[in-house]
Order: sequence, then structure tokens, then C-alpha cells
Amino acid sequence: MGLLSDPSISTQSKLVDGLARHVRLVCYALYVAGVAWFFCLALPEFNHGTYLSENALSPGLVYPEIRIDANRLAIQLLEELHRERKDHLSTTPHAWIAAKMNEFGLETHTHNYTLRYPFGGGKEYHGKNIYGILRAPRIASTEGIVFAAPYRAASSVHTDISASVPLLLAFADFARRKNYWAKDLIFLVTEQEQLGMQAWLEAYHDGDRDLDVSKAYLRPGNLPARAGSLQAALNIEVQDLEIDHVDVRIEGLNGKLPNLDMFNLVQRIMAREGIASGYKQAPRKKRRHSQSPFEQNLRQMLTMLASQSSGVPNGNHGLFHRYRIDALTIAANRRATHATLKGSPGSAAVPLLKAIEGIARSLNNLLERFHQSFFFYVIVNNDRYISIGDYMPALVALVACAFVKAYLTWSTLPVTNAEQETPAGLVREQEQEEELEPDSEPDKFELPYGSVLIYLTATLLIGFLCNVLPLQQYFLEIPMGAAPLTTSVLSFLSLIGFILPFVVVLPPGGLELLHVAFLLIYGCALIVIGLLNFALGFFAAVLTVPLVISLETKEENSRSTLRNSVRLATLVMNPMMVIYVIVLAMTFYQFPELSLQKIMLRAATAAMDASAYGLIDSVIYGNWLYFVICTIFLPLWIICWTLALSKRRDYADYLDFDESPSTSPQPKVKTN
Amino acid sequence: MDPKFFKLLLLGGAVRFYFCRTPLAAMIGNRVEFATPLNSHKRMQEGIFLLQSGIDPYQGDLVHESPLILSALSGLFKNYPQFLPVFYIILDIFTAALLYTMSRRFVKQKQDQQNVERKEYAKDTEELQFSCLDKLDIPELVIVAYLFNPLTVMSCIGMTSTVISNLFLAFFLYCLVKGLLLPCLLVLAFETVRSFYPIVLIAPLLLVFSRSSIRRGVVISLLFIVSCLIVAAANFFVLNSWNFLDGTLGFIFYFRDLQPNIGLFWYFFTEMFEHFRTMFLITFQLNATVLYLVPLSIKLRKEPLLLATVLVALMAVFRAYPSLGDVGFYLALLPLWKRCWKFMAHGFVVFTFFLVTLSMMGALWHLWIYAGSANANFYFGATLAFSTGQIFLITDLLFAHVKREFCLFNGQKILIDGEEARIVLK
Repeated sequence: MGLLSDPSISTQSKLVDGLARHVRLVCYALYVAGVAWFFCLALPEFNHGTYLSENALSPGLVYPEIRIDANRLAIQLLEELHRERKDHLSTTPHAWIAAKMNEFGLETHTHNYTLRYPFGGGKEYHGKNIYGILRAPRIASTEGIVFAAPYRAASSVHTDISASVPLLLAFADFARRKNYWAKDLIFLVTEQEQLGMQAWLEAYHDGDRDLDVSKAYLRPGNLPARAGSLQAALNIEVQDLEIDHVDVRIEGLNGKLPNLDMFNLVQRIMAREGIASGYKQAPRKKRRHSQSPFEQNLRQMLTMLASQSSGVPNGNHGLFHRYRIDALTIAANRRATHATLKGSPGSAAVPLLKAIEGIARSLNNLLERFHQSFFFYVIVNNDRYISIGDYMPALVALVACAFVKAYLTWSTLPVTNAEQETPAGLVREQEQEEELEPDSEPDKFELPYGSVLIYLTATLLIGFLCNVLPLQQYFLEIPMGAAPLTTSVLSFLSLIGFILPFVVVLPPGGLELLHVAFLLIYGCALIVIGLLNFALGFFAAVLTVPLVISLETKEENSRSTLRNSVRLATLVMNPMMVIYVIVLAMTFYQFPELSLQKIMLRAATAAMDASAYGLIDSVIYGNWLYFVICTIFLPLWIICWTLALSKRRDYADYLDFDESPSTSPQPKVKTN
Repeated sequence: MDPKFFKLLLLGGAVRFYFCRTPLAAMIGNRVEFATPLNSHKRMQEGIFLLQSGIDPYQGDLVHESPLILSALSGLFKNYPQFLPVFYIILDIFTAALLYTMSRRFVKQKQDQQNVERKEYAKDTEELQFSCLDKLDIPELVIVAYLFNPLTVMSCIGMTSTVISNLFLAFFLYCLVKGLLLPCLLVLAFETVRSFYPIVLIAPLLLVFSRSSIRRGVVISLLFIVSCLIVAAANFFVLNSWNFLDGTLGFIFYFRDLQPNIGLFWYFFTEMFEHFRTMFLITFQLNATVLYLVPLSIKLRKEPLLLATVLVALMAVFRAYPSLGDVGFYLALLPLWKRCWKFMAHGFVVFTFFLVTLSMMGALWHLWIYAGSANANFYFGATLAFSTGQIFLITDLLFAHVKREFCLFNGQKILIDGEEARIVLK
């Protein structure tokens, strides 16, 4: 009961004093515990087998009815499409697709959209999606399921996935003959990768809304017909009708995932049809036997988090998540050699068609939106997962470091001579966000809340400018590409942040207070980011927490090697630098044959492109990464840099202030 | 009144004025943390519109503002809607000014009391006594804590009617300290008929005005009941119907709207079996009103204002539709107890709690309502933690007060066998 009704008169607890002397030890222990917990999650004892939670799905309850004729149709359509592609090298054969949809009896519509690209003087791009709706015989168009296939023009640099459209159409033809659909089926062919999908989704949901034309970069237009509220979506990317394996892609915008039930459903049905399928499925080859299951699991987890952390969806399905529609992509990869061909080439796509039919019929059974199962999970293996309750402790332990350090730093703050001020009292003041000005009386010394608050606001302002400046009209009118423009604005503002602590030196006590404020904001930011996108929060925490723990603002030994190395580490942790290093590492893996100088140069341009893409992504798709880096990480870095430098004012009355916090931890209350 | 006071008031007004012109204002007006079914601006608009169209606003289930307020504001809402934010800002500044004068008066009373008792105080307790500086410091802290607390600023720019409640509460406290019985009773009766929970504040009122005589106490209680009836009757004559009683008090007591908020009611009442509802309703309402009233009144009979502070705080935690504006109001009263701060051990923990839970609420609300991936449990977890933090704060304040009282008369350094003494609670 001592927590709330502590009977001791003095507020200074011995435990806190004892802990305060070993802040770093405690924090490092927490850090190690958090990371160790994460590693433990890869052990089979710590993760769980997947199961289907939503009974309505009942996968595999019905026999697939799709037959070889659908496959023949698909082959025929593919041949026709290949002929069409010769005439449409860099465009989509809209007429052909629309004609086919009409021929199969779908309610076919086209959707036009415009992208107003803001950079480099501004350009306009036009695009066109085609979709056909199969009205459900059993319901009044209140719910719908989307089957989407992206179309890539023949001149595209990406892998050819032209077989997706024939497959989709073949399935549409089959589905049209059935009378059991309880939800409208939408068959959608999009172009220009994710842009088309984004435009279609925006038009579907907000098409009737009047947009502020001057501000909107993507003008989605409106749709001529809709099919009720969308319950689920399946995106199909098929390289060829003869497939080797299916890769199920789930990571969506801002690291959101579809319901685990949906993933499980796809896995079950694929397994029933005998298709090798899985999350991050690689071509079947001889596995290295040296890899233990633990190592495999860990690798799987890390790759999943890595692809989630950027928040960029790895398929068109990711954009659905923003509208609360569970969606995933089944990416079927071409069979590499014909040597292992089992079935006859005439029936190669039958299993895949059967699988799509099975998925469609299961989704058709849904009585309400996916809500059972998990939305927050990490896939360890194709049939094992970690739920949020199991992986969150890892992040919490890391973030706890910041809070523990903040508390211990606070309780040992050097408040001198302030006979009337006590730490607990000061908290009250801070709690109410007061802008206290330091008292004018010389014998009284208060923590400089006002100046610290102003300093924090200034850093936040720099972060805010990063978001706003690159999109200002006068910057956009400069005839400069997006990448150099964004990079120059960002580096200019980082430079201001770099110089700031040299120019503005906080009054005595300010650094300590700033330190506490920094730790609190840092902890809060990581928790919130971790809730929204666990992968990003976790990686940021793993990367930065050790640095944050080793930060200190003490006056003595400020020139020691340790402090200098912390300064160096802080410099390296600059968000711009981190992006560059990540890009550098990726370039190095991709082009190991290049010389180091070339790699660094190439990485520099790639990093510049990356920051521009980040900005464009945030503007068009609503990706948060750019916003998070600019508005949260950059200001935090500036504060961190200030603390690492620990510039102090040379005050005459400074001497009676330097009662260092850890050597004589706060005897103040007792000495009174 | 020193010029700094006016400067602070102006600055507070300017901050509010700046923010009410940003898109933030509209956003705050829709956040469940600030706008509850009771105090939301939209519902007020609706009520005034219905009133003007001659429709009883309480027949639907949307309006829960008292008829007097609706009719008082209807002219402003109809004719000068563009000045509404300014109106709310002025009200808020009034509240701050009232709190300022109230705390000045309070500190002066404390110092007088101190001069009488000084001889009994122990030697080393200067820092526990109100010093002459406090006369300036404490009111300034109070006003700063009210004007620049983000919670009150947001509540004001969201134009929640919590601003009006806060004004009445501040006026109540002002009259309480000044010793003006009749205005005190009237404003308390008004607030009671409007939002039910302030009824508990009758306890500090009785303690102040009927210190020794029970007869006086009975008379005041009767007066209170009569003024409640008068207020109710005045409300009745606005619409000539008693519907408003069910629309305001009934709505609060029966907790009809389960919209999530920062309180503890909504989650519990969504999860509960329907046939237990009456029992839990009574339990929860008892908890919010009389449960702590008697013990606290007995313990704090010498400190009516502390009793009022704690009751206002408990009200903000346990009421049916709490909003962050209520929280901001009682936080502004804490500087009055600056001399107890020394013994408040959990200040930093509570601050961290507030910071983390408030920032988590935004994220979890997004995940629950927009992304659809989290659910009510996540959000409730954050609000529960927030309430826990508030309870920590209130308990801490109470204990700090008890310790201060003890140390004031017994000295701060009590050694028993060479070890520091501990207070044993028996």
C-alpha cells in the first residue's frame, strides 16, 4: 500500500537514490531484455499456430466447380491480349478489356483520373481504369468484393504480369454463370501501378465530394456505378499461367495488415489446391540445412518488419487498408523451367483458378466485415504468428528505458538554493504547461521552463517547415526536380538544427530540464509510432535507445572520449544520415561489383530520390513516413544533438549551481 | 491588480484566439475527449435551433443543455454566430480572472490564519507556511495554470459548454472564499440542476457558512433546496414543460448515451448484462457523488476549499460524461496548495501518465474508429490509465495535505532512535 499512501515524511526515497546512481545499468538491462524478448519470439514456444477464427468463412466447404474450360478461356484470352499488347506498347488496351467484360455480361464502366504532379514546373498525367460489376442475384448491391488485376504496359520496367487480366476475366466469366453470389463482385483492371488503384479507391469512396482543386494532387473524378460497401479485396498478380509458387503479400499502407483470418483463408485454400504458397515464398530450391528453424523464423520476422517499416504497400492491396477493407495480393510467379512440368500445359492455371474460386466463395459467405482474429501480428512462419500482446512487451521494454531514465534524471535534478521549490512542486508547474519565467530574485533559482519550452517549440517549427516548405508555390515554381528540391530543403533545415545549439545556449538548469523533456517526448513518440506501425517504432527504438541511454549533460568530463563518441553517434543518427546509410547498404547488396566511390555516389542520388518519393507518397497516398521523420524524428534529433553537445553559459554565479546530480544525489530536502 | 495579471489575461485570450482560427478548432470540437454528449457545441446548436423553431428540444435524444442556457444564448447563436468563439474566449478569461481574485483572497485568509496560529508551529517549518511572496505567486500560478493549460485551451476553442460550467464553478469558489452566501447558493443550485454532480459541493458550502451551528446548516440546506426548485421552475417557464428534467438530469443519471469518453462509465455499461444495469447505475452514481463525500468532509472540515478542490477533481474523474476541460479546471486549482507540494511524491509519475495516455488516446482512437484494426478495449485501456493517473494525483494531494498539517505542528525532522520517523496510519 506504500505506493499511494507512503507514510514517510521525506519524499526522497532510498530506492530512487540507489537506482539513480545506476541509471544506465538499469536502462541497458531493460534494453537487453526488450531485444532478447524479441529474439525469443522466434522460438516455437513463444508463438502460436494460426487458426481460422471466423466460422462464416468455412474454407473448403464446397467443391470447386471451375473446370478446364475456364483455363482454356484464360489461355485464349492471354493469346489475344498478347496480340493487343503489340499495338499498345505503352498504353493499356482499354477497348479490348472493356469489350471482353461486356461480352461476359458484366456491367462495365471506365474511370478517368488525373494526377497533377507538383514538381518541376508541374505536369498532368491522365489514367483510365476499367471495372465490371457482377450484380449479386441475392442482395441489393449493399456489399461488394473486389477482384483486381493491375495491368502493366509492355514498355514497363517491372516484371510482366500480363497473365493477371486473362485470369481475372476467365474467373469473371465463370462467376457470372453462378447464382449464389450474396455480394456484388467487382472486377477491376487498374493501370499505372498503385496510382490507378489509389484513384479508383478515392473515387469509389469520396468521388462525390467536392475537392479543393487547387490543393488536390490526385483528382480521382467520380465513378458511374458502385457496389455497396466493400468487404474484402483480392489483388491478383500473375506472371504466367504456368506457375511455380504463390507469394502472398499482405503489408499495406503505413504498415497496416489485413485480418489474419484472410491470410489464413488464402493459405488453406492454396494448400488444398496443391499450390506452394506462403508469406515471402521463395522459389523452391534446396534449402541450406545449416539454417535452424529459429534462424528461419527470425529471418522471416525481420523481413516482414523491414517491409512494413517504410509504410509503403508492397502491392495494390495495401491501399484498400486505408478504407478499412481487408485485402491482400496473391502474386503467382512463373515457373522457371519446364523440366519439372507435371500437368499438361492445357490445364496449368486450373489450380489457381480453383483457388480464386474458393477464396471468392469463402468471402461470399462473410456475414460481417472481418473482425474476429488479429489485425496486429507478425508472421513467423506460414502457419505460425505472434500476436500484439506477445510482441508489444519488446517495444514497451525499450520505451521504458526512456521513461525510467527520465524519472531518475528528474528526481536527481540539481535544484539549488531553492528553499521553497521542491521537485514534486515543480512537476505540478510543468504539468500545467506553465510558461514560468525565472524569478528575478538572485537567491532563488528555478528551472527555466520558459526557455526550454521555447526551444522545444523552435525545433518543432523546424520539423513543421520540412513538411510545408517543399510544397510551397514559390519553391515549386523553381525549375528543379523533386529530388534535389526536397533534399536541399531538408538538408538546409537540418543544418539549421545542427547550428541551433551553437547559437542558442540555454540558461543554467535548462539542459537538464531539456533532457527530461526530451526523454518524455521521445518515449511518447515511440509508443505512438509503435502502436500505429509497430515495425517502424521498433526499429527506431532498437536503433536509437542505446544512444539515448548514453546521453548525459553533466558538466564534468564533457571532453572525455565517451562523450565525444556519443556526439559522433548523434551526428550519424541524423534522420538524413540514417536514410543515406540504409540506402547505401541496400545499394551495396544490390550492386556489389561496383567500386565504393560509385556506390556512395549512387546511394546519394538514390537517397535523394527516396526523400522525394517519401514526400510524394505522403501527399498522394497518405503515407506517414515522411511526416513522422520530419515532424518527430528531426526535432528529436535536434534536441538530442543539443544535449550531446551540452553547451553551457559561462555564468559567474555558476559555481553554486554545479552540484552534480549523481555524486551527491539530492540531499536538499533533508538538509533543510 | 498588477499589470502582469492583465498581460497574462490578454496573452491567454490571444492564444485561444489564434487556435480557434486554425483547423484544430473544428477537430477538437469533434473529439470525444473534449466534446461529450453533454457539452458538445453541435448539440448546443441543435438545441437552440429546435428551441427557436418552437420544438421541444428534449423530445429527441440529442440535446442535454438546460433550457435557461439555451434561451440565454439563442440570440447570440442566431444573430452573431461569427462572434461565438470570441464569446467563449471571453467567458474563459472571466473564469481565469475569477480564479485569480479567488486565490488572492484565499492566500490572504491563510496568512491571517497563520498569524494567529504561528506560535504553535514547529521551528523549521517556514517553507510549509505561506510566505509574503505567495500573495503574488500563487494567484499568478493559478491563472497561468488555467490560461495556458492545453486542456482548457482546447476545451475553449472546441466551444464546449464545459467553458460555461467552469465559469460557474469558478464563480462558486469565488463566492465561497468571499463568504457571499446567496450568490453561492444560487450558482450552485443552477449548476446542480444543469449537470447534477456539483450537488456534492454543498458540503464545503455548509462547512464555510455554518461552521458551528447545526440550525444554520439546516436552514442553508433548505435554502439550497428552495433555490434548486426556483432554478428548476425558471427552466420550466422557458418551455412550459418538465421534459428538460429527463433531458438533462435524467440523461446524466441513467447514462443513456454510451458514446466513448475519458470516463469509466461507457465501457462498463456496454459490456454489462442488461438486467444488472440498475444496480450498477446506482453504484457508479454513488461512487461519483456521496461515496467520498462524508469521509472527506469529516477529514477536511477545517479546509473547505481543499474539500471543494478534491470534490471537483473527483467529479471530473467519476462523472458520467467527463471531458478534458473538467480536468483542466481542477488542475488549475492545484497551485493553491503549493505549500503541500513538498510532500507530493508522484507528481512526475502523474505527469508522465497524463502525457503518455493522452497521446495514446489519439493513436488508439484512430486505430479503432478509422483503421478498424484496434477495438474498444485498446481505447478504454488508455482512458483507464488516465483515470488512474488522476486518482494518483488526488490521493497524493490529500496525503500531502495531511503530512503538511502534521509537520507544521511537529516539525519536519523527527528522529526516533536516530532514524527518520515514519507516520503510521492507524
